Amino acid sequence: MPIHAPRAHLFDTVTLEAPKARLTHAGRKSVYEALNLVAYIDMMTMLVIFLLMSFSATGEILFVQKNIVLPEAQNWTELERAPVISVTKDVVTLDGAQVATGDELAKDSATGDANITELHDKLVTLKNNYKLLHPNQDFNGVAIIQSDKGVEFKILKKVMYSAATAGYNNVNFAVKSKSAKPGGPATE
Amino acid sequence: MSVSVQAGKGGKKSLNVDLNLVPYIDLLTCMVAFLLITAVWTQLSRLQAQQRGQGQAGEETPPELQTKIVVVVGQEGFSLVVGQDQTPIPKKGSDYDFEKLAAELKKAKDTHPDKNDVQVASEDQIVFDTLIRTMDTALSARFPDISLIDTGAAGI
Repeated sequence: MPIHAPRAHLFDTVTLEAPKARLTHAGRKSVYEALNLVAYIDMMTMLVIFLLMSFSATGEILFVQKNIVLPEAQNWTELERAPVISVTKDVVTLDGAQVATGDELAKDSATGDANITELHDKLVTLKNNYKLLHPNQDFNGVAIIQSDKGVEFKILKKVMYSAATAGYNNVNFAVKSKSAKPGGPATE
Repeated sequence: MSVSVQAGKGGKKSLNVDLNLVPYIDLLTCMVAFLLITAVWTQLSRLQAQQRGQGQAGEETPPELQTKIVVVVGQEGFSLVVGQDQTPIPKKGSDYDFEKLAAELKKAKDTHPDKNDVQVASEDQIVFDTLIRTMDTALSARFPDISLIDTGAAGI
């Protein structure tokens, strides 16, 4: 049996030159490689759809502070723009500015004076500003109380009383929406 | 990405056309960035309450002629007052019995279908979460006009 020098045997049966060159990659290779962008575009499209579905045109009216855990409610209505009074066990703030501390609120309970002076004064200023800026509109007296779920009514009572004496009689409590449907019986 | 178009009558020229996807990807990227920045992750809403004590806020008929519905929230549980009737709803263990309160409020609504207002009278030590759940229960029982007051102001 004759002995042959070793050589490549792959595609030996293909006799035509051009197909053989292509099969054995003997032709000139292109340096360009097409990226498969289908998966990327699919992902981006899904992301855009998801974000568009959760898009809120009103934006974020309330910024929940770190130390506030809001209670949940099923029969809720949409938020509207109004002064935000944040209440925790330690501090009461109006639109981010501190107006009372928890110690002060605890002290006042014995004297029977439920009014938080600084909160009252700032709310009166806000009310006067509103009336100046909107001379043709009625003042609706809406304030939003954003309170931690563990705050006692003793503190809330004083905040509500101060708001009421300043002219803010319609108090709204900020809550986390439990169900997707706003309104409920309140709007029926 | 390319689109293949069949060449008519066995022509040799390839009619594959590369779609230019760069503007589309740019648009998607901008939209994703904008929507991510403006996204609102926590859905917050409100519960409306009024501060109305006994005989306030323009009540036309004398208070004694009106049937007043008051939910008193105390340390031991609820007490539902409808006119002169008082129904105590004690706690179930350490939790408030919201189910029974809902049932009692529903009964009160069936008895007084024209009544839309209910007062929630709270003791000082009651926490905000309990008050919100009480008001939520009252709203579920079709009492849309809720006042949050002190037990002293309820006049019971």
